[in-house]
Order: sequence, then C-alpha cells, then structure tokens
Amino acid sequence: MARWILDHLQAIKDAWRRTADRLTQFMVVVCLLGILLAIPGWLAQIWLSMASLVPEEVVQSEAIVFLNKELDVEARIDLERVLSEMKEIEQVIFVAKNVALKELSAQDGLGPIADLQANNPLPDALRLKFSIRALKKTENNIIANLLADKRVLSLRYFPSTRVQYSSLVEKLGLLGVALSGLAVLGVAMAVFLVAAADVVDDQRRIELYTLLGASKSFIRRPYLYRATWLGILSGFIACLVIISLNELLSADFVTNLKALDSRLEHLPVDARTLVGVATAAILASWVGAERAVNRRLSALH
Amino acid sequence: MIEFEGVVKTYEGHREALSGVNFRLAPGEMAFLTGHSGAGKSTLLRLILGLEKSSSGIVRVAGSDLSTLSGEKLARYRRRVGVVFQDPNLEDDLSVYDNVALPLRISGFSESEIPKRVRAALSRVDLSDQANASPRFLSGGQQQRVGIARAIVHRPALLVADEPTGNLDPELSARVMRMFTQFQQLGVTILVATHERAVVDSLPFRRLVIEKGRLVSDGMGSR
Repeated sequence: MARWILDHLQAIKDAWRRTADRLTQFMVVVCLLGILLAIPGWLAQIWLSMASLVPEEVVQSEAIVFLNKELDVEARIDLERVLSEMKEIEQVIFVAKNVALKELSAQDGLGPIADLQANNPLPDALRLKFSIRALKKTENNIIANLLADKRVLSLRYFPSTRVQYSSLVEKLGLLGVALSGLAVLGVAMAVFLVAAADVVDDQRRIELYTLLGASKSFIRRPYLYRATWLGILSGFIACLVIISLNELLSADFVTNLKALDSRLEHLPVDARTLVGVATAAILASWVGAERAVNRRLSALH
Repeated sequence: MIEFEGVVKTYEGHREALSGVNFRLAPGEMAFLTGHSGAGKSTLLRLILGLEKSSSGIVRVAGSDLSTLSGEKLARYRRRVGVVFQDPNLEDDLSVYDNVALPLRISGFSESEIPKRVRAALSRVDLSDQANASPRFLSGGQQQRVGIARAIVHRPALLVADEPTGNLDPELSARVMRMFTQFQQLGVTILVATHERAVVDSLPFRRLVIEKGRLVSDGMGSR
C-alpha cells in the first residue's frame, strides 16, 4: 500500500487513541461547541425559514416608470438596456400604452372605448422589479436618477416592506452576523485551546518526532484528524439542537403558520443552515487546531 | 563529519552558553563530550541536532551548514542522524517493534523493508525476543537498548547520545558502551555526552571537555 495511505491510517489510529484516552473531555467539548454553534445556526434558520414564508412582493420593491410621449423607440430600448444591466434590478418589463389601456378598461369595466383607443392618453411605461437583495440606498439612487432622466415623464415607486423597515432589518441582520461571527470565533478559540493543551501534553512526543526527522505535516496530522472529528461531531450536535428547537418552538406558531399557508405545520428547516453550521464547525475546529499545533512546531523546528 | 568553527550561543538575557567552540570530528570517529551539568553539553548537542541555531560561528555536519537548513531540509538532515537519550523516550502505546520502526516510517521506508531492518536492529541490541512486548513491561536497561535500536535502525552516519547511561547500573552502562564501540567499528560517527567519569575512563576514545561554555580540553583518553 502507498506510504502516504499508511501514514494517514497511522495518524487516524493515533488520533483515535488520543480521543479514547480523554473521551469524557472530548464529549464535553463536542457538546459545548455544538450548543455554541447552534446559536448562529438557529438565527439563520429563523431568517431563512421566515424568508421562505414571506410573499415575494413584501421583500421585492417595484416601480412603474412612465416614459415621455415623444420618446422614440431607440431611446426607450436604450433606457431599457441600461436598467436591465443594473444588478439591483431583476426584471424590466415594457408595458405598451395600448396594453395598459386595455387592462385599465377591463379593470374599470368600461370595455373598449373607441374614443380612448383612437386617442390614448396613457404613456408607455417600464415596470421595474428590484432584486430582493437591493439596498434601500441603491433603490433610492436609481429612483432619483430616473426622475432626473429626460426620457422619464414620471414614476411610481412601491418600496417593499423589507426596504421600508430596512434600518431595523439591517440592525437585526448585523446583530445576527456579529453573533454568528463571535460563535464561530469562539469555536475556533475553544478548539485552539483544546489542541494547544493536547500539544503541551504531547510535548515530549512531538520533540521526539522532530528529532527523528518527522515533517511538520507528519506530526500535526493526528491533531488535525482529531480536530476534524471534533468539528464533525459538534456540527452534528448543533444540527440536532437546531432541528429540536425548531420542532419545539414552531408548535407555538402553528395557528399563525396555518393562516399563512394551510400546508404549513411548522417552520421548514432550511438545509443551507445545516450545511453551513456543519461546514463552519469543521473549518473552525480545523483552523483552531492547525494554528495551535503550528505555533508549537514553529517554536521547535 | 562534525565541524564547529568559533561557535557562540547566547540565550536572551543570559550569559553565553557556548563561547567560541572549535572542534572537528572525522567520519567514523567516536568521542566523548564531558563536563559538569550546565557546562554547555546539551546546548552543543542541540546545535548538532538542529534544535537551536548558533548566535555566531558555523556548525557544519556532513558538509551542511546547519544554520542554512530549515523546514523539510532540516527534517531530512535529522533523518540521517540517530539520537539516544538518557530517558529512552519510548512510546508506551506502541510495541517495541513499532517504536523501533518509527524512524523508518518517518523516513518513508517501504513496508517490505521495515521488518528486515527492525529485526536486524533488535538483534544488534539482543532484544529480538521482545519485539511484540510493550516498553512499559521492560526493565530500564532493556528500554535503553530499544532506544538504541531505534537510533540505529535507519543506519545513520552520525549517532548522538545524551547521557545514554545516566539511568543504568555500571554493568548495563558497560554493555551500552560496548554497543557504541561496535557501531563505531562499522563506520558510524559517534558523539556521546556524559558526565560519568567511569564511562569515559573505560574507553580509549577522544574526549572533549567543556566548562562554562568553553572547550577546555580536547585529547585522547586511555584506559
């Protein structure tokens, strides 16, 4: 068998031996990290599941841009192209004045009025759908620019609820991101300390391996495998906590949820949350252990 | 094999651990490095093993200036050196066989080559029958012999021993020194740091005496 496979198998065996020697300590750390990681995971879960329940029009702003009557086709197409290329605008729909008149007539129950059709008072219009991620400031800039544009007669802007409450949403979002960042940093630091303690315990062994000519990667491999297991298990615990919290707490919302959609019995768990939490757990554990072992090895090598 | 040219080692905030040390050890030569505790023996060995860098001067082993080696090159250099410690530093979780095989695995020897070399090394130290035993069930002398087998299993050109008989009774000490003599006869360069006068006096090899970081004597010993 290839040497490197044998080396990795040996490292896995070493990592397992180290874990088995301190199983209680390992399991306590796994549970603590799992609970710590469940905090940002749970916040993300609320955010994403609520977003999936909220109707699009609440989070997506719209605007109807009435065009100058004398505007030629080329100028209109040019404006349409410029707007379509903006990443904040998801969709630009041209509404011709005769189509608008027909719809208005149908809505008002007036039916086709020959007089109006012959002399349509409505302008052509563009219907803009903003991206659900567009910021309040960007939307306002676009609207201001359009109002100043000579090709535009007037416009009507329908800001989404998200944009209307954007400052609150942004503050909550920032709080969530900060909490999540702190939790992930906490996990990395906790694993750093655990790995550093392991390395100090194993200092004699590390010095021996160094003297025998072992490369840094050879020496740190068991610690990184152990950290990876720590990450996988704490990520798993975090996912279990998130799912349990979801099941437990959404029971209180059932009535309200059913009012929103009769099919809804509980908040759906978003797979992105679980994948994100598990990935963050593994990465934070790995980085924490890598830094701790490297620091010790750099002092020795 | 080993060359020290005006080597000075100063630790931050402390006096010089080594002051202008000069000596040369030829390939296949065996020498004792003696001196009291704190004289600078361990510092000198750490410089040879690449665990420390000299503050000034040159430490050259097998033609390589050790101050220029780092990372993987330094690890490769160490794979060509055998080390014997006062405390054999064995891994209790591994069998005697696996302890001795460790340098071979680290050096990337093939699995087919490892058993042959381990058997040969264990046979040299008369421990062939203990291959599967756990080091924790061996006597101090046996453990030291396992440490020696581990140091020679990859057939190093240089063997460095730091107080190898420090924990052994006179009879076992003599046995260990006989082993070193045999390795020297096979062409291995050997440097043994010890403060045990009896050990040094028992063998007719070169003596480097170090005191307060200075090499104060360099000459041949006699029985």
